[in-house]
Amino acid sequence: MNIEIREMQERKAKLILSDANPTLANALRRVLIADIPSLAIETVEFHLGTIGDEAEEKEYQSSTPLFDEIIAHRLGMIPIPTDLDLFNFREECEECGGEGCPNCTVIYSLNKKGPCTVYSGDLIPVGETDLGVVDDLIPIVKLSDDQAILIYAIAELGTAKEHAKWQSTSGVGYKYYPEISIDSDKCDNCKDCIDICPVDILEESEDGEIIVSDIEKCKICKSCVETCAVGAIDVKGREDKLILRYETDGTLDAETILQKGLEILQEKFNSVIEMVEDIE
Amino acid sequence: MIIPIRCFTCGKVISNIYEVYQSRVERGEEPKEVLDDLDIERYCCRRMLLAHQDLIDELMEY
Repeated sequence: MNIEIREMQERKAKLILSDANPTLANALRRVLIADIPSLAIETVEFHLGTIGDEAEEKEYQSSTPLFDEIIAHRLGMIPIPTDLDLFNFREECEECGGEGCPNCTVIYSLNKKGPCTVYSGDLIPVGETDLGVVDDLIPIVKLSDDQAILIYAIAELGTAKEHAKWQSTSGVGYKYYPEISIDSDKCDNCKDCIDICPVDILEESEDGEIIVSDIEKCKICKSCVETCAVGAIDVKGREDKLILRYETDGTLDAETILQKGLEILQEKFNSVIEMVEDIE
Repeated sequence: MIIPIRCFTCGKVISNIYEVYQSRVERGEEPKEVLDDLDIERYCCRRMLLAHQDLIDELMEY
């Protein structure tokens, strides 16, 4: 399988897989969705009871419009920037044996007094300052006049196999590479295909022939084939060449995700080979 | 209630643009234009913002 990078932005990528097949593309797709480790908040400790403010001599209640469970769940969904070289899985951590240490967990504190909206940007990493959350503007909860929130949240590595909050990719999908063939002998130049194409990739060239402008946009919907009265146009999808696209939520950049994904896929294939060898 | 953090279907974070979306729509822009501009491509994510009813302010009174 050859991978040609057609578009590689920080949070978006488009790849052309040639000399491939749908099975292989799907294997890569599933690894990108479910096997890439990333950080997400797993444990949340709430301060219960009143929260005092000595400067204002005012007492705040720790109850909020949302249940604590819902706040904890919302915190879990927030993307946290991950450096895969720095962190171990908590249960496999050799430094602390799963107790929790700077090599496997990140602790965040959240301390806010109402009336206000609590945003993800209010989560402050304890100790390490470069691990602030990716998006600052995610609303977590709203607080009214005498409400306050005091939370410690612990983030750790995980994969989306266990919970979707560790899923760092979205919209991972592939399609066959489209192929449009136009038989210029049959074509009667009625231009119906140009009008009907939903992605507007068919146009008329200077010498009056129908040409394709951006083949990769084609959805293989075959509207043009259906509308052509003389049967001059044919659309096919190639099974040996595919277009794979995905987006990331900012925990990892698109390039790191692809590298890690291919690494994991390689490991998986190797373990299958080993298992087969063990049988003999 | 309050805007969900991620799209239920695909998992894309959509809550970070909710307040921008809301203020622009209130100013009279077409939701379609705003969603296109904010790069919300798939219809699963678009419905998260389009169909959302923010009820938390009403709940705050109790």
